[in-house]
Amino acid sequence: MTMKKTDFSGIMQSKVTWAVIAEALILLVCFLIRPDFFSISYQPSTGMLYGSLIDIVNRSAEITIISMGMTLVIALGGTDLSVGALVAVAGAIALKFLRWDVLTYTTPGDYTVYPYILVLGVPLIVCALMGLFNGFLVAKGGIQPIIATLILMVCGRGIAQILTDGKQFTTGYSPFRIIGQGSFLCLPMPIIITVIVVIAVALFTRKTAFGAFVESVGVNPSASRLSGIKAGSVILIVFMITGLLSGIAGLIYSSRIMSNDSNNAGLNFEMDAILAVVIGGTNMAGGRFSLAGTVIGSLIIRTIVTFVYYFGIVAEATMAFKALIIAVVIVLQSEPVRRYFAKRSALRQARSGGAK
Amino acid sequence: MPGKNILEMKGITIQFPGVKALDGVDFSLCEGEIHSLLGENGAGKSTLIKCLTGVNRMDEGKIILDGREIHPTGPGNAIELGISAVFQEINLCPNLSVAENIFVGRQPMKHGQIDWNEINRRAEELMSRFHLDIDVTRPLSYYSTAIQQMTSIARAVDIQAKILILDEPTSSLDENEVQLLFTVMRQLKESGMGIIFITHFLDQIYAVSDRMTILRNGHLVGTYNINELGKVELVTKMVGKDMDVIFSLKRAEVKDGAEIVLKAEHIGDASKINDISLDLRKGELMGFAGLLGSGRTETAEMLFGATKTVRGDIFIDGEKIEIKQPFDAIKARLAFCPEDRKRDGIIGDLSIRENIMLAVQSRKGFMHPMTRQEQEELADKYISILGIVTPDCEKKAGELSGGNQQKVILARWMAANPKVLILDEPTRGIDIGAKAEIQRLMLEMCKDGVSVIFISSELDEIIRCSTRIIIMRDREKVAEVDGSTCTQQDILRIIAEGAA
Repeated sequence: MTMKKTDFSGIMQSKVTWAVIAEALILLVCFLIRPDFFSISYQPSTGMLYGSLIDIVNRSAEITIISMGMTLVIALGGTDLSVGALVAVAGAIALKFLRWDVLTYTTPGDYTVYPYILVLGVPLIVCALMGLFNGFLVAKGGIQPIIATLILMVCGRGIAQILTDGKQFTTGYSPFRIIGQGSFLCLPMPIIITVIVVIAVALFTRKTAFGAFVESVGVNPSASRLSGIKAGSVILIVFMITGLLSGIAGLIYSSRIMSNDSNNAGLNFEMDAILAVVIGGTNMAGGRFSLAGTVIGSLIIRTIVTFVYYFGIVAEATMAFKALIIAVVIVLQSEPVRRYFAKRSALRQARSGGAK
Repeated sequence: MPGKNILEMKGITIQFPGVKALDGVDFSLCEGEIHSLLGENGAGKSTLIKCLTGVNRMDEGKIILDGREIHPTGPGNAIELGISAVFQEINLCPNLSVAENIFVGRQPMKHGQIDWNEINRRAEELMSRFHLDIDVTRPLSYYSTAIQQMTSIARAVDIQAKILILDEPTSSLDENEVQLLFTVMRQLKESGMGIIFITHFLDQIYAVSDRMTILRNGHLVGTYNINELGKVELVTKMVGKDMDVIFSLKRAEVKDGAEIVLKAEHIGDASKINDISLDLRKGELMGFAGLLGSGRTETAEMLFGATKTVRGDIFIDGEKIEIKQPFDAIKARLAFCPEDRKRDGIIGDLSIRENIMLAVQSRKGFMHPMTRQEQEELADKYISILGIVTPDCEKKAGELSGGNQQKVILARWMAANPKVLILDEPTRGIDIGAKAEIQRLMLEMCKDGVSVIFISSELDEIIRCSTRIIIMRDREKVAEVDGSTCTQQDILRIIAEGAA
């Protein structure tokens, strides 16, 4: 009777399956309303592919990148609220190095005051250190992640303001433009960066034992420690990765607008990232995580937003509409619903098996 | 003696996907009876109880309570019907007072407000019926597990339950507390309540029960009067095969001149341990005896780096080592199966494979991962060596029965190929068949040259297996005796009097 819960070997039980189905359904609706929704065209002048689908993936880049880290944080049983603020910090630092002193360098143009390597490197390092700070509070201070990261969520934007004297800098430096607006292999650069990040995180967690350690600590920290896992180090690394990824997302975001925006850059990104992870099937209580699910989750969120824009639903209704669809997806993924479908498919199988 | 039947369960069948958890089981309970429900882990005891409390829905059979057929739909409904259950894991609110816990959800009211005086007065009255003179306004967490358990029972008494189910109530109680519980149980029995008692301790069954019902693999073996069946017969019926194994176990022997593997000199910490010294030889099995809180577990935790050692030195193979965290201990080839399997041992949501490979992997560090194939080979190897009952190594460890979970943890450490294995209550809460298995494995490892430290509250186990026994009392080692010559009485006397 060790088999109290039988695995319904059907994939209908997997949350990722439901996320994929949800995404497919939303796209199908788009297709039915506007058959040209799926069309992709090549623009020789920019050397890039254009189309709604490309746009969805492109625009979801920041959330996808951040939610790779968020997946690990949530798998540890925590949340990181500071990611949105770190996006603003990264943008502020990058623009600071590009323009330095707006009074001296009065007009934005195709130049950078400090070497480009600093423009990109310093924001990433600072964000990684801020992530490390979060991790330190959690691992060594024993503070709950949601509280520990609240600190940087609140003061991160303040730091960004201070760095830029509360001003909004703009730049015209063309190498910087490439990050958010350039292209590679006919695809927008953010997509390329996202793919690299996703692959890198997937390799790091699944080709080493790091993913297993994260899941283990997420399920049972005490037992993991007694099995020799240095839970503290795992937590530090995870928060640092999340900080670093928020930095990358911040660079993409500010390159898109070629400016810094301490108030609005990355606003509510933490919520979207958490949502992407949850839609992707990773449990908020920690444990098993699915990076693939998170990618789908992020795409679903962006598809909904695109859908709203594309079909001219009034802007005021956007948030409500988004909430509605997400509610449906989450209910579809809930335990009772999945059980119900699993049971039905098991029954159907049993019946067809009996008929033979 | 027992009066008329108050509960009858007939032909209970419960089908879980792929397996019949219960197959046509009959069970009956009389007024004023203590009825033990017995069986190995996974025999269907809990399933039967869950069926009675409405947690599991039965596929066939009927339940008749006081001559009326009932269909409990859930624990709340069961309580309304007069069926109250007290589980091993106490389901009360530790932050509420004892009195609040007893009356939560049905507080007596006065002028539209909760009548606190009445609550506290009645709670005191109830607890004093159990000879417990305690301050019922203190939060529940302030009191010992025993008192917490009594609080659950008091709640059941106050709602005038006809049937009280006690699921492993004694597993975390000490001897005095068990006696107190028994007194209460007898009192309740006198008042006509029917009690269903589930425990792994055979002595306790004989101490309080009137009848017993034995289940095996979801089938009913039989219902017997308590004087009808001796212990050996009982165990035979539970396990379904003759139980000579446990009596044929041979004590771990140490060769003359075997080198000392682990040596601790005057180790201690701030509060839990004063001064412990010991030396463990190769292939030796050392028992730690003593009461709960005497320092048995705390010593093991210090040796393994789970808690900090403040004073003293630890040597492995004659070399002094610093153990600051479990990782250091694992590096030095120490292994530790902790007492609280659920909290500190098993990682429930992960598969058996991952649970087994964990210690090996953590010693290697995450940058040197084992391949999936290596992990599977390792897991399959120990699943077959230890006889872990599972369809495959991908099953969630948390879904296994207690005995099998313990084997998974044992496998985790055996896979790490330790020099010293510390087992803290490895046989607690698992059935007798699995107990014998674990003891056999332990002794076999000693034969292979592993040194084992064995902590148990059950003295007969310790005496049966140990080469030497260290007796602890009040956070100190008070004596060291030879396992082959000492008796339970000797050890109890030392524990009581504090000297050899």
